[in-house]
Amino acid sequence: MNLLRYIAGRLVVYVLVVIFALTVLFFVPRLGPTDPVEAMLAKVASQGAYMDAAQVDALRQSLADTFGLDGSLWDQYGAFIKRIVLTADFGPSLSMYPTPVMELIRNALPWTFGLLLSSTLIAWVLGNFVGLLSGWKPNSTSSRVMEGIAICLYPIPYYILALLLSILFSYIWKIFPLTTTIRGAPWSWELITSVVWNSFLPAMSIVIVVFGWWVISVKAQTTALKEEEFVRYARLKGLSDGRILSRYVLPNAILPQITFLALQIGLMFNGSLITEILFDYPGLGLLIYTAVLQGDFNLLMGTISLSVIAVATATMIIDLIYPLLDPRIRHR
Amino acid sequence: MITVDKVTVGYGTTGFIKAVDEVSLTINDNEILGIAGESGSGKSTLMRAVYGDFSTGLRIQSGTVTGRFEDARTGKVIEAPSSQFAPLWWDQLSYIPQGSMSVLNPLMKIEAQVVDGLPARERQGGSRALRQRIAEFLAGFGLEETVLDAYPHQLSGGMRQRVLVAIAAFVNPRLILADEPTTALDVVVQKKILLMMVEIQRRQRNSLVLVSHDLGVHYQITDRLVIMYQGRIVEQGPTAEVFANPQHDYTKNLIASLPRLHGKRAVEVVGAPA
Repeated sequence: MNLLRYIAGRLVVYVLVVIFALTVLFFVPRLGPTDPVEAMLAKVASQGAYMDAAQVDALRQSLADTFGLDGSLWDQYGAFIKRIVLTADFGPSLSMYPTPVMELIRNALPWTFGLLLSSTLIAWVLGNFVGLLSGWKPNSTSSRVMEGIAICLYPIPYYILALLLSILFSYIWKIFPLTTTIRGAPWSWELITSVVWNSFLPAMSIVIVVFGWWVISVKAQTTALKEEEFVRYARLKGLSDGRILSRYVLPNAILPQITFLALQIGLMFNGSLITEILFDYPGLGLLIYTAVLQGDFNLLMGTISLSVIAVATATMIIDLIYPLLDPRIRHR
Repeated sequence: MITVDKVTVGYGTTGFIKAVDEVSLTINDNEILGIAGESGSGKSTLMRAVYGDFSTGLRIQSGTVTGRFEDARTGKVIEAPSSQFAPLWWDQLSYIPQGSMSVLNPLMKIEAQVVDGLPARERQGGSRALRQRIAEFLAGFGLEETVLDAYPHQLSGGMRQRVLVAIAAFVNPRLILADEPTTALDVVVQKKILLMMVEIQRRQRNSLVLVSHDLGVHYQITDRLVIMYQGRIVEQGPTAEVFANPQHDYTKNLIASLPRLHGKRAVEVVGAPA
């Protein structure tokens, strides 16, 4: 009963957060001076088509209608929330008219998600493993070397690293492609190899940078845990190093890392702007970039709403499952 | 059982800071030995040297600590210096730490923490039979079976301390070392736990070493008492004798400082750890 009440309360908070974010998203672009209808009209005019005043008015009306910019601000707001909540419809993209925003997102999402999920998980597992060992045996040569590498990689600005990789491995040594071009029929072996081949450098660049951060944070956790009384007690029980590490240190060190991981997965829906621009990778980041450059209101709303919802969902999921991971946390 | 021969123990990897100074002591089979002394008198350090816990820079500078474990169950006799006791931990000897919130792993249920580290001989039977035996053992401490499925944070301080005593005693070792096992508890719980420890010792007929700065605790349960002061043993003997007829000035002061029902406390103990 308490559990149900907790979940219900958490869901209400979740819905409120999402609605609030959508509201901000709705009003902020409308505070700016650009009017997408006028911009569209100017675009049409610049292409040399001649229209008389009546035609322009008719077009203006029909554009306002399709863009959902009809009526007072409050009417628009009501219609906007209703449309998004009920049908998850962000309308047509303005820059790639008339493709619906949801379709663009649906096409870009697997790319971003595949790239970010695999690289984040690889970095997380590797980083935690190395961090745990180097925190446990800080004086061994291998952990010093690994930690040294992590500390050297960690502060490199991401865009420099990505550019460096790109220059080294696709320009000087032409091992990997410079831009992303995918070939092959759906679900064919050729397609899969092509995807892996094209995603390798962007994925590497993410793994390398994130890895260092995980190593440093887990190492700090492990070093602190090693001094804990329950670890000393386990040692005086005559337990083996492996057992102390796997049953006493690891579960306690990994808890905060799981929270971070969930937030990272939520943030994935932002795409990775720089990676995708640098490697010309067809994901969400590139989509957001295009939307900003083209002043594409609907696309911008769609992509940003998606990332807000994703982060809110990830946080909620973590809140809900955390008691399963840490017995000290309980749903009231 | 354990022979401590003119041992000097201290800390430091480059330098050396003496904590126990040429101490000689015997721990006999089937006895409860008390070690008393103020903070900094070296009792915990001596305890660690006897247990063989030479981590964090603890080392023996001179003298020896040797153990002789006669196991009637297997007929095996093991003799070794304490530096080689590690394989015997949670088999021939076990340890009760000073209770605090963080001695038990916060993410492990109590049952798993009792089982973790148990020697093979105490694990016999299936896991259900083992659980049954642990539950019965805990019942002797006034703890219900539900405690086995609890996490440490769900228990009170007194319950946690009883669990720690039970974990060490369930091993059924030849020697149990207890470092201030009842310090943080109120006197009622303290008395309960002490009586439990005596009862288990009488049943298992092993040796129990109890470190405490509380003379009242020693008076209640120990057979023999050792008084430490500034890293040295200043007095040792049967507990009743030490209390009735203290020889050393420090012991006299300690005993005189105990609160009395009639009359006022005789003296205050003056002494700081060197």
